[in-house]
Amino acid sequence: MMLPELGVILADLFFPIFEYIAPHVPGEFFPNFFNGEIQALQRSLLGSLMVTIIAGFLGSFLLVRNLAMIGDGLAHVAFGGVIVGIILGASTPLWYALICSIIASISIYELQSREILTGDASIAIFMTGMLAFGLVILKLSGRAITTDIHSYLFGSQLLIDSENLNLISYMSLVSLFVLFNLRHALLAITIDPLSARVQGLPVRGIGLMFSIIIAIVVVSMVKVVGALLVTALLVTPAATAQLIGRSFKSCIFWAQVFGFLSVLIGLYISSEHGTGAGSSIALTAATIFVIIGLLSGVSKITNPGKNEN
Amino acid sequence: MGAEITNLNGLEKPILEIDNLTVLRSGKLVLKNVNLTVNRGEFVGIVGPNGSGKSTLLLTILGVLKAQEGNVKIYNSKPMSRELYGKIGWVSQAAANLPKEIRITVKELVHLGTVNAKNMFSNTWLPMKDKGRRKRVEEAIEMVGLQGFENFDIGRISGGQRQRAVIARALATEAEFILLDEPLVGMDRESRNSLLKLLDRFCHDNGKTIIMVSHDLSAIRQTTHRMIFLEEKIRFDGPTANFPDLESLAKLRGISHTHEQENGQWWPGDVKEER
Repeated sequence: MMLPELGVILADLFFPIFEYIAPHVPGEFFPNFFNGEIQALQRSLLGSLMVTIIAGFLGSFLLVRNLAMIGDGLAHVAFGGVIVGIILGASTPLWYALICSIIASISIYELQSREILTGDASIAIFMTGMLAFGLVILKLSGRAITTDIHSYLFGSQLLIDSENLNLISYMSLVSLFVLFNLRHALLAITIDPLSARVQGLPVRGIGLMFSIIIAIVVVSMVKVVGALLVTALLVTPAATAQLIGRSFKSCIFWAQVFGFLSVLIGLYISSEHGTGAGSSIALTAATIFVIIGLLSGVSKITNPGKNEN
Repeated sequence: MGAEITNLNGLEKPILEIDNLTVLRSGKLVLKNVNLTVNRGEFVGIVGPNGSGKSTLLLTILGVLKAQEGNVKIYNSKPMSRELYGKIGWVSQAAANLPKEIRITVKELVHLGTVNAKNMFSNTWLPMKDKGRRKRVEEAIEMVGLQGFENFDIGRISGGQRQRAVIARALATEAEFILLDEPLVGMDRESRNSLLKLLDRFCHDNGKTIIMVSHDLSAIRQTTHRMIFLEEKIRFDGPTANFPDLESLAKLRGISHTHEQENGQWWPGDVKEER
């Protein structure tokens, strides 16, 4: 590949920091994510954290656009793409997942913006269609669901090699850069597309760009948390943030906080009790939502009518 | 009072010129041979029954809908052309009906008005460069009288305040020509009146030009300089003082006033409920 190995660069940058923290990390097995004895775990921690940053950012926009389930849909599409890639003998099946997801995401956007189908219906069609395609191809090729395929469903902390980390790094960085730069324009076309057009914003162009970014982010998450649980990191922290944030900016900030907490606590639980990383992260995210939800409910009941600022 | 302003600016080119406009929407004739000229500083109210083409007219002016026949020119340019970016403010019903769960503050909403094709990429890394935009946002919020509410999220302010926030967003674009589609829907009488006063001030003091579409004949009558009654074509266009009463209006429309009342579908319904 012509591009520099971004994964390696980031690893060189962050692994020393992880190792510095390692002695203070609680647990018996959990410190292995930091101390560098098993490099795959360090890579997976770095990958998870990168994915979390971008997921919190993207998730806040998805909630405003009422597209919470697109992450789930595209993850299934990506999974179908992964199966196709594996059967074709690709070394990094994530590339196939990426292409399939981008096509699906653009199609969903087109169906929605042309008012042919609602967002939900078009997501459902692509999600099941591509998943079914992957499974049919799998049966035809005479293979079974192997550990490798399984790892894409539920995430695999130990299977993130440096090639994967590299891909995840690039995808996260590019999407973060684009989203950050377009954040005002994106919010403007979300809140009121017609006004945005009158102001001269390229509504369609930004919409398409956003669709591609969603696909990229989802694929980068599939390897880390697994196709079935992408939504847990994409939507749940952002939704929790909505409970306590008072501005869009603060919602993005809190989505990051809850995302990081979910990943760290989830990884801790899974490594100490062998509960599976992806599912532990998802469960933690949901638990945080419930706790914050109850707390904010209580504070609303005790201070009724108070315009919180 | 509208007439004086028009005369003052009589030498200027009109801001909006609509010439023999015919618009079909999904095959159905909605507007037919509409001619309309609007000058700087005018406050024009457009009224008409449901489905009479009011919104269609606005959308055609904005350039969202294409005309089958005829011409629309704003500042002597075609709708949606590059020269118009930032000159037109649009206040839609949609923005006022924003879902309340969205956490976005008044300030953030108004700030969105300053985003345009030129600055959508730049300035985001250097907050210092945003100074001009921030000032515009502050001014717009002040103009609509929402000071002190900047950091309230729009789900937690009243409907009238939200509508004013949406108008501030349109003002932050520095638009000179503002189009409003049913801005009075869902507002109580008090906030309705203060909004109308506000719009009136824009025309008088700030020289803005406003076209407001509304269902609410009684409210629109109090403030606008000029009224247009639209039903497929323009049936009345003149100073607000000369706007016909309900009976003459029915005559204009070619239907009998009482007949409509009997069928329970007379228009405008708001006159009946006037307090």
